[in-house]
Amino acid sequence: MGILDEKFLPPDDMPEFHRPFWEALKAHRLEAQECENGHLRFIPTEICPRCGSQDWTWRRLSGRGSIYTFTVVHRAPTPAYQADAPYVVAHVELEEGIRVIGNVTGCEPGAVHIGMPVEVAFEDVSERWTLYSFTPREAA
Amino acid sequence: MASFRRRKAVIAGVHMTEQGDLSGASPQQVYWQVVKGAVADAGLQLSDVDGLIGPAPEGLGLRGTLPGAAMADLLGRPLRFQAYTSVGAASTAAGIGPGIWAIENGVADVVILPTVSAGKGSGYTSADRGAAIAHMAKLGTPYEWLWGTTRVADHAVIAQRHMHQYGTTSEQLAEVAVAQRHGATLHPLSVMGRKGEITVDDVLASRMVAEPLHLLDSCIVNQGAGCIVVAAEDRLERARPRIRMIGYGQSHAYLDPNHLPDLTTFHGDVASDTAFGVAGIGRDEIDVISISDHFTINVIVGLEEAGFCKKGEGGPFVEGGALRIDGRLPTNTAGGYLSCTHAANSGTFGLIELVEQLRGSAGARQVTDAKLGYIHGVGGVFQSHFAAVLARD
Repeated sequence: MGILDEKFLPPDDMPEFHRPFWEALKAHRLEAQECENGHLRFIPTEICPRCGSQDWTWRRLSGRGSIYTFTVVHRAPTPAYQADAPYVVAHVELEEGIRVIGNVTGCEPGAVHIGMPVEVAFEDVSERWTLYSFTPREAA
Repeated sequence: MASFRRRKAVIAGVHMTEQGDLSGASPQQVYWQVVKGAVADAGLQLSDVDGLIGPAPEGLGLRGTLPGAAMADLLGRPLRFQAYTSVGAASTAAGIGPGIWAIENGVADVVILPTVSAGKGSGYTSADRGAAIAHMAKLGTPYEWLWGTTRVADHAVIAQRHMHQYGTTSEQLAEVAVAQRHGATLHPLSVMGRKGEITVDDVLASRMVAEPLHLLDSCIVNQGAGCIVVAAEDRLERARPRIRMIGYGQSHAYLDPNHLPDLTTFHGDVASDTAFGVAGIGRDEIDVISISDHFTINVIVGLEEAGFCKKGEGGPFVEGGALRIDGRLPTNTAGGYLSCTHAANSGTFGLIELVEQLRGSAGARQVTDAKLGYIHGVGGVFQSHFAAVLARD
């Protein structure tokens, strides 16, 4: 199976401490590390960049946020992604104050704008992996 | 004869091969071609080379792991110095600092900084364009590529945010491409120069790749090779303007965009302020610059990062042909990654062009009486930076 044949999946050789994030996604929960001093971070890192703590727990996130920035991809990396083009890749600022990257679905790409309220959605892309995306939501 | 004492080093030689499609040549053949070209440009011999920044020619076994040892086999004698610098596409150019320090501390006499993309290749140097783009997409930080990001998309989100935050326009982005294409038309080895001048309307009418970046906002994908030679001044006989590095800095800012509070501000000022601080000169004294330009937004943000304008003012700064050879701040005068070449460690070609400008050998592209130059090389999506101030004696 070459790089051009199918959409990418998370790498099997990820560090062990990343796995709880993916296990939570499998259970349709978006989680991030929270260090003993209450600092949230994403993506997983082995040390808190704010305080140096190497201890953490996984905290469930609200999944609600707004679009910080985005692009509409017209030329995709591979034919498998090109079939979906044009599609939106957004950086979403979550209510908890951290940013995550994901697709925005459930609306026309042309309707997406910075500041747009979104919420997380989950897609089981294989027996093993679940990815998250975002869909528009009504502002609170 | 090696000399074990402290002395001055200069940027003594530069050379670039044909740029474009080098798939018919082997990377090894092109490596030695470009090294010999740069050594000859310095007025030196291959037998003078005793240092290397970067890789040995591609090969089997330990060539990749022990490049200095590999070079000893190939040059038929021990090498005295090898090092790597890691600033992405500007890695080779960023080696100018360590290369000069090695010589000034008596570690080596003549250091080469080669970069090569040739042959059939694989991965993101593949001659197969589709495979190359797919592999480049995976240069993103872990997991973001699961959502179908590309290198263009990685920069498009920055452009979008810059527009939102500061009012930067697509027309301003296009001005960068237009100014640089003009330079490329005056460079005999540029890939896009032969296609002629472009206008702002041409850029805006070109195919959208990742909004707001069009095809003509994007760098080209091509092969080619370049090499720089740094040498102890007392080893040089040829009478020609001596080009010195008078300031240098690096900044390694972030890896994952989620960790950066503001996706328009990338800590490149740390590298730039260090370089200008060491040089003891101001930005307003600089005659010509090179800035890594994977996309048009990179030049606008890069000018801000390097302190040539305030954060957010890069858009208005580039209006009215300011970056043209005859403009207020001539920038990427050979055409840059957008229009000259984006081969291998392409920051090398920005440094080569600065050297040509400061020597006064840039021909039709010559910036009048250029004495002081600045290069701001970027690795990844503004993730790592290096800065250097160059001066002609």
